[in-house]
Amino acid sequence: MGDQDSKDRENTKGREPGDGIGRRDLLQGLTGLPVLGLFGYAAMKQKRYQEARVAAATEAAPVPADLAEINVALLGAGEQGDALMNAMMKIPGLRFRAVCDIWAEYNLQRAVNRLRRYNFEVNGYEDYREMLDREKELDAVIIATPDFWHAPHTIDCLRAGKHVYCEKEMSNTLEGARSMVLAARETGKLLQIGHQRRSNPRYLHCYEKLLREGKLLGRIVTVQGQWNRAVKPDIGWPRRYAMPEERLKKYGYQSMEQFRNWRWYKGLGGGPIVDLGSHQIDIFNWFLDAMPSHVIGSGGTDYYDPATHEWYDTVMAIYEYRTAEGIARAFYKTQTSNGSQGYFETFMGDQGTLVLSESEATYSGSIYREISAPAWDEWVRKGYIAAPKLQEVQEETGAALDVRETVSPDEHRIPIRLTDPYHTPHLRNFFDAVRGTAQLNCPAEIGYETAVTVLKVNEAVEANQRLAFTPEEFKI
Amino acid sequence: METQKINQWQMISLALLRVLIGWHFLYEGLAKLLQANWSAASFLLQSRGPLADFFRRLAGSPELLSWVNLLNIWGLILIGLGLVLGSFTRTAGVSGLLLILLYYMCNPPFVGYFYTLPSEGNYLVVNKNLVEAAALLAIVALNGGRYYGMDHILHKLLRRPSLRKKAEA
Repeated sequence: MGDQDSKDRENTKGREPGDGIGRRDLLQGLTGLPVLGLFGYAAMKQKRYQEARVAAATEAAPVPADLAEINVALLGAGEQGDALMNAMMKIPGLRFRAVCDIWAEYNLQRAVNRLRRYNFEVNGYEDYREMLDREKELDAVIIATPDFWHAPHTIDCLRAGKHVYCEKEMSNTLEGARSMVLAARETGKLLQIGHQRRSNPRYLHCYEKLLREGKLLGRIVTVQGQWNRAVKPDIGWPRRYAMPEERLKKYGYQSMEQFRNWRWYKGLGGGPIVDLGSHQIDIFNWFLDAMPSHVIGSGGTDYYDPATHEWYDTVMAIYEYRTAEGIARAFYKTQTSNGSQGYFETFMGDQGTLVLSESEATYSGSIYREISAPAWDEWVRKGYIAAPKLQEVQEETGAALDVRETVSPDEHRIPIRLTDPYHTPHLRNFFDAVRGTAQLNCPAEIGYETAVTVLKVNEAVEANQRLAFTPEEFKI
Repeated sequence: METQKINQWQMISLALLRVLIGWHFLYEGLAKLLQANWSAASFLLQSRGPLADFFRRLAGSPELLSWVNLLNIWGLILIGLGLVLGSFTRTAGVSGLLLILLYYMCNPPFVGYFYTLPSEGNYLVVNKNLVEAAALLAIVALNGGRYYGMDHILHKLLRRPSLRKKAEA
């Protein structure tokens, strides 16, 4: 220390003798302050720039002056509720009034804080019945609770006179799903099920323009879908925010562990075939314009510990469809190992193949023309599909094309991208329907058909045999 | 320690180095703080080298990971503030040095290791982390906060009289 002092004294010019702090000392000592000011200025500019960029990219359509405000509540503020809340931020004319989540210490607090930051006067509730009793002005409730709560939540909200957007899977039981359809009919209120690809502009484009109008694939013969998901640890929770056991039991959970990982438990969720497969198998029914006639399934808890993962982490299912054009077979796979090649659906017809995915990052959409099919130039000119990718010039490699191989088809990109969060169009469709300016893209009846189609896979795996569907099964 | 002269230019360059590193730390922390859902998980998960198991274990436990994220963000911000202002420079410098060495050891640029997360340029054993760590070492060793920094004043205020007498003797 002593050395430092003398060094300091010797090396600082203009210092007053003695130990007092002089003007020069102060100036020297506070040099960092203007730098900090400069930093603050730069950081603020950077923040504004980023905000402006986000705002520009996600600019909502101008709000019509006569747009009626819709009073909205969020029931279930977990991971999915959070995603839906994000997706709703860009929809004009919504007023959040209430949030309900049994995990008051964490989920509820987080959602309420967030909405208040956006200047919504929201009330938080642990019990949804109390919310329905008190919040008389609500027009619509967005439900993102675990599957086994969907039926009671939806039915009570509908009976309280609210329109409902309910996350898929509609219910973990067919009885539950059926009672939801009936409640929607009884009350005359809207019930949209959260199969959000039904409102995705790319999927709508492929269905309406490419399959129905252009019939680009010819007759669809086989379909394939997959969701490759990587292994990951069970979902945890900050210990200091654990719920008391009494409340967990009241709402049907054995433990915090089960509450956080409900998707893996029988009686609460339906496992990956329902969580992931349901989205894509719904597209099979939609694009084939048919319900399946049979399904076979193979699956099991092959990777995880079956004690905490009651539902199958790996499932492969094959459906048989009797479409208007003939038989089609559809294979679906969901598995737990690594996430390469992600998730997408493939439709193969005698004139072409359509590969599309909700993911904007990978496989966002391509259509391949079988070389013998009629030319697609007309559709390129109309902007339905992009011009074909140029083929690479064949090099003289000396390798002979095997006689059994066919020349590879032309690849055209599907020129439709979604820049909003994935759930925004489906939610917008719901709110438009509430205002009476649109029809629901996935009303309860369609959600029910998908539930019948998907829940049967778990049944087939358990029974270890091929199961048949009757056409009546899909109707209520 | 031998008493050496340090001239104005040396003082200024040392202060400049300190302030720039502080700015870098401060913004790294702030950017993570402002980015919702920022997590060190993917950085930790791609760890290579002798401490890979340790870093991967941090990423594997949600409880530990939330602490790591919190400590990292606020560590960066506080170290940044300390360095920019030149206050408690040695503490900030040593903490910064240790933090950077942790980053370095998490993803060391050793021969035959390949990473997919952001790195610009090509490195052989020495990367920018290591250079910044060495620069911090210099600041700590030369007590950089005393030149154009708050420590210049703090030092005078906090200095104990007994030590002062000894120095004067």
